[in-house]
Amino acid sequence: MMNRRTFLGASVALLAACGKAPKIRLALNWKPDPQFGGFYAAPYDKHGLDVEILPGGAGTPTVQMIGAGSAEFGIVSADELVVARSHGNDVVALFAVFQNCPQGIMAHASRHLASIGDVLKEGTLAIQRGLPYARILEKKYRFDHVKVVPSPGGDISAFLRDEKFAQQCFVMSEPLQAKHAGVDVTVFPVADIGYNPYTTVLATSGAQLTNNPDRAKAMVAAVRKGWRAYLNDPAPTNAKMHDLNPSMEAAAFAEVAEAQKSFIETAELGSMTAERWTMLIGQLAELGDIPQAFPAQDCFRSL
Amino acid sequence: MKRFLPPLIPFIVVTLALEWMVRSGFVPSYLVPAPSAVLRALYESRDELGAAMAKTSAAAVMGFALSTLTGVAIAVLLSSSRAIQRSFYPYAVFFQTVPIIAIAPLLVIWFGYGIKTVIASAFIVSIFPVIANTLTGLLSTDPALRDLFRLYRASATVTLVKLRFPAALPQILTGLRVASGLAVIGAIVGEFIGGQGLGSVVDVARTQQRVDKVFAAVLLASLLGLALFGLINLISAVTLRRWHASEATME
Repeated sequence: MMNRRTFLGASVALLAACGKAPKIRLALNWKPDPQFGGFYAAPYDKHGLDVEILPGGAGTPTVQMIGAGSAEFGIVSADELVVARSHGNDVVALFAVFQNCPQGIMAHASRHLASIGDVLKEGTLAIQRGLPYARILEKKYRFDHVKVVPSPGGDISAFLRDEKFAQQCFVMSEPLQAKHAGVDVTVFPVADIGYNPYTTVLATSGAQLTNNPDRAKAMVAAVRKGWRAYLNDPAPTNAKMHDLNPSMEAAAFAEVAEAQKSFIETAELGSMTAERWTMLIGQLAELGDIPQAFPAQDCFRSL
Repeated sequence: MKRFLPPLIPFIVVTLALEWMVRSGFVPSYLVPAPSAVLRALYESRDELGAAMAKTSAAAVMGFALSTLTGVAIAVLLSSSRAIQRSFYPYAVFFQTVPIIAIAPLLVIWFGYGIKTVIASAFIVSIFPVIANTLTGLLSTDPALRDLFRLYRASATVTLVKLRFPAALPQILTGLRVASGLAVIGAIVGEFIGGQGLGSVVDVARTQQRVDKVFAAVLLASLLGLALFGLINLISAVTLRRWHASEATME
């Protein structure tokens, strides 16, 4: 039986363990998969960092976690960050992995659709209605003729069973799954309708940047090296991530890593421009997601 | 007034404390919304929330009604013989352990998008407490009264209708109280994937980082749970008042 003294002793030991040199937490918004390859490949120790990567799942609120300080760094999308800032959550982007938005709508190729507008003329569309691009689509084309249902995440079983079913996807992920299942698809990237936020963006809080500027700088340097290494040779990191996420097949890791390259490669990996942020802020203000536009400089930092 | 004042006091204290904590910046508003912000969201989105509430209520009530009828019927069947009970009761326990989130996508494939999926989800989550409590009630009839019925050669049906079922009412109603809240939870989980009602509102508001609207929807969901709970209490008061200790008026 535990008496009061051993209980106190245990509590003190626990407190001491908590007081140890803090690990830096990097919160992901999904399970380990190729979109995070460079974060798993990054040589953090060479930059004097002890990083613990926290895998997430559907709806992991990384942007709130960064603001609340339950993770020092996190992965967010640019639109999420802009909306969070308008709510007073001081989150700042440091490194944008996907230079172009890899989200899209996929439909059965047998429907011979020519544009994203055609997708919305009949049948079913599975989409997260809260996402800004879903509402841009709704504004532009109306959803009067299509039945809108919740997105099933990465699950394509409903899609495979119903020819008139279209769903939101990552253009380098679900379409490949569908192809393997024997269904030809047409993919309409969201960027085609002029909405193109940076995605898989490394972000931190304004407080972290003020209190620990060198650490943020080291983090960006390590991550940039990690992504360079992952783009050159994803195999070793894929093996590591496959161990952490065995439900995704090894072949799929290799395939997705190859397919996403064109979205990521740029002169300086991860770099962002004020023009792109300004455009996004304008779109979100017009949509009513933020009360008014604010300067793009608040949103990101080039370290 | 005497009945409503005691629960009202903690409510007011907690609400005011929360309001103060958010306004003073102690808790950032993007993590916990101020009660006033929730009320504002409730007012601003009243049409959308009202329509969603109607859909969720319909689905939860139907799921709950279905689990009440089926649950009681299954329990009567199980109580009819030891052998049946031994063979089938373990499978009833299965319902209690179903991780509804895991099978929810399958419900969509079986029942399609819309209310059927939501009702099924509410039903699956809420049936077990009905079965378990009804069964306990049916099996714990006073032996002396059972002997009396046997002495008068009452048939099994008469014994069930006149003795065992009425005697089990307190337990059945306890089962229904537990099930009523679960049915609301089940409906909302079903709506996350079936796509309608308060579940859908929560899903969209969460994507838009509208914590105030999430809480407004949650508030409505708990009101729905409370209403169902109140309904069971009303039925309980009416049916048990004359003879059961739990509903006797306390002075």
